[in-house]
Amino acid sequence: MARMCMVIDKRRCIGCHSCTVACRTWNQLPIDIVYNPVLSEGTQGKFPNVHRTWTPMLCQHCAKPACVPACPTGASKQDADGTVWIEYKKCMACKVCVNACPYGMRDQSKFEPRLHQFIRKCTFCRDRREYEGDYAKSTYCVDTCHQKARVFGDLDDPNSEVHKLVNRVKTTRIFENLNTEPQIYYIDDMGGAL
Amino acid sequence: MRHHYWELPIYVYLFLGGLGGGIMFLSMIFSLFMFPGVTAVVETLWLPMLVAVGCLGLGCFFLVFELGQPFAFLGVFLKSTSIICWGARFLTVAMISAILWLVCYIPLDMLAGLAEAIRPSATLWMVLAGCCGFAIMVYTGVMLSTLKAHSFWATPALPALFTVSALSTACAGIMLAAGIHPNGGLMQNLLAAEAIKEIVHMADIVLVIAELTILLVMILSFLGAGNKTQNKVAHRWVHGSYAPAFWGGMICCGLVIPEILNIFGSGVATHIVAPVLVLCGGLLLRALCIFSDDRAEIPGENIYFNRLKKKGEAEFLTRWDYAGENEY
Repeated sequence: MARMCMVIDKRRCIGCHSCTVACRTWNQLPIDIVYNPVLSEGTQGKFPNVHRTWTPMLCQHCAKPACVPACPTGASKQDADGTVWIEYKKCMACKVCVNACPYGMRDQSKFEPRLHQFIRKCTFCRDRREYEGDYAKSTYCVDTCHQKARVFGDLDDPNSEVHKLVNRVKTTRIFENLNTEPQIYYIDDMGGAL
Repeated sequence: MRHHYWELPIYVYLFLGGLGGGIMFLSMIFSLFMFPGVTAVVETLWLPMLVAVGCLGLGCFFLVFELGQPFAFLGVFLKSTSIICWGARFLTVAMISAILWLVCYIPLDMLAGLAEAIRPSATLWMVLAGCCGFAIMVYTGVMLSTLKAHSFWATPALPALFTVSALSTACAGIMLAAGIHPNGGLMQNLLAAEAIKEIVHMADIVLVIAELTILLVMILSFLGAGNKTQNKVAHRWVHGSYAPAFWGGMICCGLVIPEILNIFGSGVATHIVAPVLVLCGGLLLRALCIFSDDRAEIPGENIYFNRLKKKGEAEFLTRWDYAGENEY
């Protein structure tokens, strides 16, 4: 069984926001929605020993997501490969899933017409991966990242790059204590957990 | 970090749900266990039950009004893993049962035949309404406490607080509405109304003390020993921007003054002023809890999401049209 995950190497990320732009373009998002914010706490340290780190965020596609069981209509779903997504027609935008997500990675646009609003989130480019065309079977943010900071693949495939990275390099996950088993692994530049 | 998505309709819904459910539960206790088979008690509780149905109906209206796609609401009954799904089921059963019970004793001649026909099953409807009412009271707090992303909500104290508050507001609701009936002037009805009001009066004294205790224990323990997020919210309640609403509105006007009036007052002070203050306190409690929607911050998140506001680009965003047209 496949288990899709993403490894983000923070040592390579330069905070160019290409992934943010790519994601917005592919998903044609309203202006107030961002699936892929690239966060930074600003410059750390004291001159001359200064550094700056970036944390690209996205839905963590948790193995045990808090949002999916909380959804009363069954609009929030999880595929067999672990991808968490929303069936927009079923979503009544009650915002329970938004409040259930500890990562704040679900949102509702304020610019959609009343009575036609729904919750949006990253789908690991589910539509792109299923498309029978020339696109790579990967997410658009991964394909766009010129620093190769993002790697996407099947964690259960021993030959996949993500499998090798997760098993060979020290990785961390955000809010692991919540037991949601997030599937985004970060390689920290300075070590330590978030 | 503030994670604010639920607005006024949601806390009004939680308040009305607790109030309506509480009245149904207490009505069941009075009519089936404390005064079984007494017609005067049934007639005394008729208007409170009507108020309870109205509260639940209005609460559901607020809930549906808040939805982004209200027509998708029909799917809400389907998924049993969701606490909201159970809430919707209990609300539906409670309202239907309560309406059928009300019809059993409706004081209208034109519906007397229908009332006679279904009256043998009145006890069943009251049991269903009362049990589902109890479930609704508990559910409002449990729903929030299952959202573990929000440390302030995800605590066992919150369902206890909401349940006690729902019972307290239900006592206030019964105090205001009990006894108003076409047969309310009959001696036995006057006595029944007095008896019920005296019981809810005494119960409210105990419930307000319990609510005050749970609330203070919860907030002060968050202030002293909670995690970072709980601590931040507790600071806001105790000496931050919510302090006037918490100390002045909820503690003083919503709990302490009604308690003093209930213990030392009489007449209008006990029968009208104190219950109205308790109801206002209950609404304020839900509002403050819903606005305490902080979740643990991911480093850099605040900087990122507050950047637009700081640069004054909010106006640019708000003028953007959904269809892609904009004024600039």
